[in-house]
Amino acid sequence: MTAGKESRTAHSVAIAQSLAQSDIDALLASSSLWDAPDRVSVKSVTGQTPEDFSHNRRFSVCFLPSGVGREWLGSLTRLDCDTFVECSSEIDFADLAPLIPTNGGRSHALSVCMSTRSAYHLPVARKFVTALRHRGLIAEKIAATVEMAVQEAFANSLIHGNLELDTSGHLSMDSFTELGEETKRRLASSKHGARVILLTARRKKNGHIVITVNDQGNGFTPPSDSCSTAVAGRKTTFGRGLPLIKSLCHSVSFSRSGRSIELQFDQDKADLLTTSDIFVSELDGNKDQVPDTDIRNPQNATILIADDTMLSREIIASYLRSDGFTNLVFAKDGEDALDQVKIHNPDLIILDIIMPKLDGYGVCKAIRANPDYAETPIIAQTALEENEGRTRIFDDGATDLILKPLNKAELIARTRIHLENRLLVKQLQAYQERTRSELTMARDMQENLNPTPENYRGTGIDYGLRISATFQMSSELGGDMWGLMPIDEHRLGVYIVDFAGHGLGAALNTFRLHSLIWSDQLHDREPGEYLENLNRHLKGLLPIGQYATMLYGIIDRVESKFTYASAACTSPVLGNSLTGQARYLDGSGVPLGVVRNARYETREVPFTGANFLLLYSDALIETTLDDGQFLSEEKLLSMLRETIVESKSEIDLAAQIADQFMDRAPAQLADDFTIVSLQSTPIPCAI
Amino acid sequence: MNYKTETANGTTKVELSGRFTFGDHSSFRKLIEEIRPHGSDTYVLDVAGVEFIDSAGLGMLLLARDEGEKTNTSVVIRGAQGQVKRMLEVARFDTLFKLED
Repeated sequence: MTAGKESRTAHSVAIAQSLAQSDIDALLASSSLWDAPDRVSVKSVTGQTPEDFSHNRRFSVCFLPSGVGREWLGSLTRLDCDTFVECSSEIDFADLAPLIPTNGGRSHALSVCMSTRSAYHLPVARKFVTALRHRGLIAEKIAATVEMAVQEAFANSLIHGNLELDTSGHLSMDSFTELGEETKRRLASSKHGARVILLTARRKKNGHIVITVNDQGNGFTPPSDSCSTAVAGRKTTFGRGLPLIKSLCHSVSFSRSGRSIELQFDQDKADLLTTSDIFVSELDGNKDQVPDTDIRNPQNATILIADDTMLSREIIASYLRSDGFTNLVFAKDGEDALDQVKIHNPDLIILDIIMPKLDGYGVCKAIRANPDYAETPIIAQTALEENEGRTRIFDDGATDLILKPLNKAELIARTRIHLENRLLVKQLQAYQERTRSELTMARDMQENLNPTPENYRGTGIDYGLRISATFQMSSELGGDMWGLMPIDEHRLGVYIVDFAGHGLGAALNTFRLHSLIWSDQLHDREPGEYLENLNRHLKGLLPIGQYATMLYGIIDRVESKFTYASAACTSPVLGNSLTGQARYLDGSGVPLGVVRNARYETREVPFTGANFLLLYSDALIETTLDDGQFLSEEKLLSMLRETIVESKSEIDLAAQIADQFMDRAPAQLADDFTIVSLQSTPIPCAI
Repeated sequence: MNYKTETANGTTKVELSGRFTFGDHSSFRKLIEEIRPHGSDTYVLDVAGVEFIDSAGLGMLLLARDEGEKTNTSVVIRGAQGQVKRMLEVARFDTLFKLED
């Protein structure tokens, strides 16, 4: 960007609605975020909870409410944003500012900054690691190790750094109790409790991930390396952190007089996510678009001939030219070959094995190590007697082998075959690229079938309900959908649908069903009758073998009941919002689209001012979590109970469950994930 | 971290669940105060439901052991899985506790 006098950098800022405007203005105007706040223009969007911000919008920074709770911690995985900052007049960022480095500074792939008071009670390390996983910055297989190390570093910085608590020496129960009391006092004080903790992560060029944890305590002198890394022994109860961290990381270093710890993790590049994660795809931009015009015809291909003897190069060249290949480049040794590959990105390489500086094996390995050239065909030339060498060159990545002395017909035949393959692969890639962008459009359309947060919240308020929903599409298109249908002033219809399978077919079916649902205005029928009618229509539209599960229900605020019918939907959960006790309702029934005259039973349960209802797609209970198991029925109920019991104020139940699920589920889900909660608010507004 | 306790035949069984980390100070203290008066011969800490433990959590387990020693109560850690199991191994807790599957 040209830095003209008047030019301002535009930034989108996501802001928690509960924040006071004066605090927001103060933070924006300070130099805590940017070096030169006067050169920044800000467009802010507020949201009651992280659900309110669009998936498709990119934010420079998100202002977390003062006293961050679990729901806002969830914004780390929900928002396309790299910097999260707690906004509070008590906080002084001091030497940690500016949090968003401008020109020249190292920009972070993720940074999270909050007060000690907020951070102490939150699983910050876990959410931070989940967010890195979802952004494709760390591989799934090292996530558990990273989390352990970050947890230790984070605890250390909070407790020893910011809170200045001494936990060394042998702890007795009495001193443990005393420590607990002192912790409470210090968290409440503004000297300790308002100190900031900052976690950052960035990826280095070599693929290593670097995570720093920074505090505002007094610092300490890091122990010298002679300090043993043995973690065992029981002299101290709490001082095991550092050796443990060292055993988990590639390297550990300190700066800011011990107030910053930097952890580096090595990871296999091959294991990184390469798929279309929403954040990553944005970062990568158009980098890997395949120009599909460059080799329409094999004759236009660029061929690199790497051979140390000029005569050989000339012979090969003359053979190729005679067949119409004229786009030839040459290399006279191994190193030269690598240089030429970089300059010309050839479509095919004819490689001699015995060459000075770097032999053919080395060249092969080096080329294959670069993902840009992973598909480039390499034909190695070898003499008949080198039996061992022939196996080895294939191991090192050669595509084919040609025997010396060269036979003209054979050379041309092999060259043609590999170029044609290459051409097909490239065309296929270009085709996939086009399909991918069309799929993205279809995904957006499909997401728009679901109500927006504004819409469902507003509708909820009209009926005395707090409604929360989380929807995450699988890597491709999916078949999930949900919606609300106001019937009259005290009855609200709600539905959730899951079409079998995913991909284009399932997505098209959701469009079909959506238009059926919204073209039929008879929503006030008994749910059973409603599904029967819908099924008859749908059966006529759906190809044989395609079906959907669906639940349709009506919450009646006057008669305090929930009536519903289910077409093989996951069992809805009905619970008590105060005690957290919950049970499964009967979700049995024939799937939609299977038989024309399917019957659906209307079921009825009481639904009062103290109830909540949870609807979800089967991805919630059929995704393999980090313990290698599905979320069991029992486990979901206890998760609900604990979430309700542990929360001090009103919460968005669906969002909380989704956040806990995402912590433990793979970043790329195999199926669509939908979860919706409808919670009675204590004082129903509309009636 | 959440827990449930149950005492029978001189054994107090404690089922721990959730994440057991430095912030669980007060719930752990409550737990110790709750089981101390039972006067059991054995505390069985069932950690099968614990999904994550940090070094402070390990420290608290040691504290439970110290408590036990005062009254000649032996402490057994049962059912560690995944990350918890790995942490117990790294910290060589097999030398300090009786570990059961």
